[in-house]
Amino acid sequence: MVTPVLVEARGITKRFGPRTVLEDVDLDVHEGETVVIIGASGSGKTTFLRCLNRLETPETGQVRIADVTLGRRSDGRPADERELSQQRRLFGFVFQRFNLFPHLTAMQNVALGPRRVLGVRRAEAEARAVHELTRLGLAEHVGKRPGQLSGGQQQRVAIARALAMDPRVILFDEPTSALDPELVQEVLDAMRALAGEGMTMVVVTHEMRFARSVAHRAVFMADGRIVEQGVPNDLFGAPRDERLRRFLRHLEPHHDR
Amino acid sequence: MAQDGGALRRVLAGLILAFLVLPAFVVFPVSLTPNRYLSLPSGGVSWQHWQTLFTDPVWLSGIRESVLIASLSTALALAAGTACAIGCWRLGSRLTDMVRSAMILPLMIPTIVYALGIYRFYVELDLIGTMLGVILAHAVTGLPYVVLTVTASLANLDPALERAARSLGASVPQTLTRVIVPNIIPGILSGGIFAFIHSWDELIIVIFIGGRELFTLPQLIWDGINENLDPAIAAVASALILFTLAVLLVELGLRRRRQFRAARDT
Repeated sequence: MVTPVLVEARGITKRFGPRTVLEDVDLDVHEGETVVIIGASGSGKTTFLRCLNRLETPETGQVRIADVTLGRRSDGRPADERELSQQRRLFGFVFQRFNLFPHLTAMQNVALGPRRVLGVRRAEAEARAVHELTRLGLAEHVGKRPGQLSGGQQQRVAIARALAMDPRVILFDEPTSALDPELVQEVLDAMRALAGEGMTMVVVTHEMRFARSVAHRAVFMADGRIVEQGVPNDLFGAPRDERLRRFLRHLEPHHDR
Repeated sequence: MAQDGGALRRVLAGLILAFLVLPAFVVFPVSLTPNRYLSLPSGGVSWQHWQTLFTDPVWLSGIRESVLIASLSTALALAAGTACAIGCWRLGSRLTDMVRSAMILPLMIPTIVYALGIYRFYVELDLIGTMLGVILAHAVTGLPYVVLTVTASLANLDPALERAARSLGASVPQTLTRVIVPNIIPGILSGGIFAFIHSWDELIIVIFIGGRELFTLPQLIWDGINENLDPAIAAVASALILFTLAVLLVELGLRRRRQFRAARDT
């Protein structure tokens, strides 16, 4: 893409005890770009995504978004937990299992962040919540609790919740993997629409058709590294790395949508 | 269920229930006796002993002390117990299972053993005969109820919710007050109610630590029975039972509402 770089991850390394989950991973994401990350389970995709917004703290490496370095103040000194919370909200995050707050309605789920973190007034936060939910086709569900919604609806509420914080990038962690097959499409359609509006997105997914038709770039991870990347059709059409070839052989016949 | 066995079973169940409940409720008629000694009312009913309860300065101060001690010790037990349960839930390792088990200990150690130990300890701290001493001791013995009920409500809560809150830029205190606590409020309330009742009718620790300076309602009853047989004791006992029942009914009502909500939501 010709737009400027928005997110720049450099040398991200993450260990859990003796196990190295990520090793020296670099990734640039451009403004308005949709990047899809694929890879077998255990390849470090989810951990990498969490290192981007510091839900996990990497051992080494840095993430810059716009002119902010996560975990650092503008004068270069380490940020405290409160400042990191402020920086973290530049990223929206959509979880595999939705993680909606069960005690709140859809509208309250979306309004909570703007109200308590951004300090927006209640009426305004609720108006923003209704606006985001309507945009995701959930206008008649604003007053329902997560338990009353289908998985697809819950995941769309989760997307609305991320959007309401006005993030620069949204990170999606296998957003359709926990859904019944008939509910997958509504979530993918919502994501497709977002990408179309120019939202910058990093998506960990196994939905190859989504990757082909929406993503500007696909990144293949294996053993905690980025092994290969490129335009999705090229990457999937002519994989060079043997691990990627094996991964695609296993994936495509079952999961292609 | 078989019809013929049903009647017998119901009578048996009724008898057992009566056996359990009647000894407690015998104080109600006794409290209405017109006589000046403990007896079942004969030849009339009188509210004079209830009147004593709410006018006599000794009983009134007993009520005050009991309420104060129970409230403050419950507040302490709630704060410490909830924090402990949430901490164990977030860490979720084998070590925290041990911590939780240790928290239940005050429930399993005989109170008199515990009171003895705390007495020796309090002598050094100069807490004997103080309200603070009893409040602290009751907070510790009330702790297991809070840890148990809060842990039970946390079992249904997904630890990933914390991650969700953080992803929205919430600080740790915000995550605690806006996300975690609202989801476990029923457990916190139940724990508080049990801790309150525990302190409300606790006698042994009060006798050991309160000495001759503190007189809670249970201790006044105990002294009254040993010294004179004033039927006001029956009135106090009735009041204790009624109050405890009221608190338990509140707990039951809260649980009903919760189940109703859960049923509606699924």
